[in-house]
Amino acid sequence: MVALETAVIREGETSGQNQQRLELAALSAPAVLFTIGMIAFPVVYTVWLSFQSFSSTGKQSFVAFGNYAKLISDNEFWHGLWVTLALYLLSLLLQLVLGVWLALALFQAERLSGIVRSLFISPFMMPPVVAGMMWLVILDPSLGAANYILTSIGLPSSDWLASPTWVIPTIALIDTWQWAPYVALIVLGGLQSLPPSVYEAAQIDGASPFKTLQRITLPLLLPTIVTATILRSVDLLRFFDIIYITTQGGPGNASNTLNIYGFRAGFEFFNIGYASALMLTLTTIVFGAVLAFNRLRGAVAW
Amino acid sequence: MTSMPVSDAVLRRLNTLQLALAGIIIMAPVAWMVLSSFKPSFEVTAYPPSLIFSPTAENYGELIKTTPFFSYAVNSLIVTVGSAGIGLIFGIPAAFAVSWTRISWPAILTLAARMAPGTLFLLPWYVMFRQVGLIGSYTALILSHAVITLPIVIWVLLPSFDNIPRSVFEAAQVDGCSVTRILWRIALPLVGSGVAVAAILAFVFSWNYFLFALVLSNGDTKTLIAAAFNFVGEGSTQWGVLMAAATLIALPPLVLATLVQRWLVAGLTLGAVKG
Repeated sequence: MVALETAVIREGETSGQNQQRLELAALSAPAVLFTIGMIAFPVVYTVWLSFQSFSSTGKQSFVAFGNYAKLISDNEFWHGLWVTLALYLLSLLLQLVLGVWLALALFQAERLSGIVRSLFISPFMMPPVVAGMMWLVILDPSLGAANYILTSIGLPSSDWLASPTWVIPTIALIDTWQWAPYVALIVLGGLQSLPPSVYEAAQIDGASPFKTLQRITLPLLLPTIVTATILRSVDLLRFFDIIYITTQGGPGNASNTLNIYGFRAGFEFFNIGYASALMLTLTTIVFGAVLAFNRLRGAVAW
Repeated sequence: MTSMPVSDAVLRRLNTLQLALAGIIIMAPVAWMVLSSFKPSFEVTAYPPSLIFSPTAENYGELIKTTPFFSYAVNSLIVTVGSAGIGLIFGIPAAFAVSWTRISWPAILTLAARMAPGTLFLLPWYVMFRQVGLIGSYTALILSHAVITLPIVIWVLLPSFDNIPRSVFEAAQVDGCSVTRILWRIALPLVGSGVAVAAILAFVFSWNYFLFALVLSNGDTKTLIAAAFNFVGEGSTQWGVLMAAATLIALPPLVLATLVQRWLVAGLTLGAVKG
């Protein structure tokens, strides 16, 4: 009898657990189905599209790895890769250095008022497209305020976005204006979570502020900095908005990043197959960077 | 040794100074945009640029008269509210289930969508939506923008749900509450601020998103951000009107973001940093 009773209770439990499992599956089902329909299936479809060639009349033919072979011999692809990496490294470096510097300054100020915080979030909460429009007017080579300020303090003026040499540094500067405050607020979060005891210990040992920063604060901040690096890498490697609104990849092809190149190949020249091969390559680069940095974050964790 | 407090005070003042400088660099371009939008048309392209002028609203009037700005704004609102709504309706239960079961692959799958370049999805969507005649429809725009909002909602809410002590749920289960009931009646009210942050971030990122509407919208469904691309092309000489458009487009996300500024950065790191 006792055994039977336990069995009944067990059965009741497992059917309750099954019920619970079903309910949990039902709760995540809409999101999972949406993700399969809008993301997983389309990506598989992109792989298939990347094996196709589309003629100007829209006729499709199977070319196997033809698009990838074309990619390797396409100078514009290698140029796009170079532009992407140059813009990425320059922007990332500027944003990390300025972001950490600003975070340290904010941390020293101790109390962060709502106004200061609002000030810091406004650049990256405004649409990148608006940031592009705004800087387009400020950086106008002949009538812009930026050149007026430069020349009035005796510096040479620049063609900014209209100069093939300066367009990449200029776009990096615009993006840094938008996102260095974001890096700063992330790093500030890291600073605030550091245990105060380490500073006290350093102070008792008579370490100079610079030494404390170099030997204690920065190493302890590394995981946070790597996190910020991952978040910025994802956005910077697929850079699109500011470039498309300001230069569309120009002047000439000077700011033609892989994402811009892929977009134009697909939607201006309707070379969908080739564009798919391009975007899969870029996606592999982005995910590779994320995985590498994620491993680095594991290595510097404490 | 007695000089220490003095140098401390000096350091503090220097720190305030560098923060003020940073604040000016952050705000000056925005201020210039807003100022330019109120300048009379002959003054906005004046060189040297003028700081003192008699402000006018003529650029805003011109913008509304010469472009269908208002219907673009309505389009933006439809797409943004629709996609944020889908993000919340699908994302809230999914985040709860992931937090409960610790089976994280659904969340990671949506995160992958957040990291891949948008053009990767846009190419197959374009082919698929064209086949079913959905190019230019609100449906296509809302669905595509929901790909942006869903991971935001899930990853903002995951840590919030994780923070609720398990014992709260267990007590409810003993009382015979089903999982679904626990979510809506117990867990959701406990993560109210998280839902507010998720909703606002979903709204802001959907509003700001450029790429999808560039291809999937048509003249009738064009969002403000996609229309901005045309404003730049047409308004190359009309800076005042262009800056009026820029100011109006930036206003909704900036106002909303200010409301949740305290929790915003932790939400934006997709769970990587706890505020």
